[in-house]
Order: sequence, then structure tokens, then C-alpha cells
Amino acid sequence: MDGIVDVLQYAVDGVNQQQQATANNLANSQTPGYTAQDVDFATSLQQAIDSPNGGTASAVVSADPAAPATNGNNVDTGNQLVDAQQETLQYQTTVDMLNAQFRLISGAAGGSFS
Amino acid sequence: MSLFGSLDIAGSGIDAAQTWLNTTAGNIANMNDVSPMDEAAYGEQTPVFVPSGAVGQIGDGVSVAGIAEGDTTGIVQYDPSSPEANAQGEVRVPDVQLGSQMVDMIQAQTDYQANASVFADAKTAYQSALTLGT
Repeated sequence: MDGIVDVLQYAVDGVNQQQQATANNLANSQTPGYTAQDVDFATSLQQAIDSPNGGTASAVVSADPAAPATNGNNVDTGNQLVDAQQETLQYQTTVDMLNAQFRLISGAAGGSFS
Repeated sequence: MSLFGSLDIAGSGIDAAQTWLNTTAGNIANMNDVSPMDEAAYGEQTPVFVPSGAVGQIGDGVSVAGIAEGDTTGIVQYDPSSPEANAQGEVRVPDVQLGSQMVDMIQAQTDYQANASVFADAKTAYQSALTLGT
């Protein structure tokens, strides 16, 4: 990880994976025996940013530890819907920041800043 | 996973919820079926949902593995005026409870709405990605 564009690019990918996991959890909200999935990329990304030599980050898929209902399914529809909204906003914010970086680069290279 | 994965996944959820709505609609429509004693009664239909995708990775959504058929013995009713009645005046009617079908229908509806809302969210996110560099 070197440079803010790399970090933001990684974050966009990570949020996209989180959104896929949320979509998958909600698609399976009625599937008997289904265990919800969580995706964490932020912890690993933070470590990569903090490491002096520029480490590599990776997204981790883990099982949601929530207790299952009587049909063995542990998807909390409310939580997942909130996650879906959050991830959408986070995705948009990260894309906005990437665009801002591109405008800076473009301006610094003699083009337009806006 | 395809380019716009979340859309495919939410779409599979919408499909599954639609199948569930269809089976509940079919069950309610057939609640008052009457069968003669020597034939099977209408069996309650329930979709069987299974997750798609490989283990240890983000899943690919949900799919309907099949439609499970409930008890076809039905309930034996005394209805001598029915054209299907046997010499003892007995007929078979389906063992379908309207209450549980209505509950299933509401659950299927909420399931459909949740997936549709994820679809809309994912679309918004992907649209913002298309503004990159513009």
C-alpha cells in the first residue's frame, strides 16, 4: 500500500465485497441452516497503512456469530438492511474521494482542478 | 462473481421470494379442492431454498432446489352432496391452513422487499463508480 489512490481503490473493492456479502445474507434470509457472512477489510487495510514498508491488505470472510433461530438461520434482516445502506454511502464517499484525488492530479499536471 | 455481483445476488433473492409468493398463492387457490377418496388430495407446496456459491467465499445468492409437497392424505370430510363423494359420503380436502399460508405470504413479501431494496442500494453504488474519472 503506497499512495492514497491505492488505499482508496482497495477500500472501494472491500466495500463492494461487503455489499455482496450483505446482498447474499438477505437473499438467504429464509434459507434453513444458513449462517450469515461478515467481510472485514478495514482492519487489514489499517495494518497495511501503518506498516513502515507498505504491507498488503486482504479481506477476510467470517461467519456471523449471532445465535441461529429454530430453523438454523441467523440472518438479522434489520441489521443487514442497515448495513446495505451504510455500505452504499461508504462506497459513494470513497468514489468521491477518488475523484477528488484524480482532479488534484489533473490540476497538478496543468489541467483543470474542477 | 460477475462485474455487478450484488445485483445478481439481490436478483436471486427476488426470484426466490417470487417463487414463494407463487406457491402460497397456489396453496390458497387450491384450499377448497375436493378429491374422491381413491385419489390423493392437493399437497401443500413449499419451495426449498439453498444457498449458492462455494464454501469459505462470499456466496452467490440463493436458489430454489425444488418444491416440497406436503401431506396428500388430506382431511377426510363428510359431504354426501359432493359429486366426488363415495358411497359413505366421504371426500378428501387438502390439509392447507389459511392462517399459515397468510403468514408465509407476508414473509415472502417482506423477503421480496428486502432484496429489492438491496438491489436499489447496489445500483446506486455502482452508478457512483461509473462517475470515476469524469
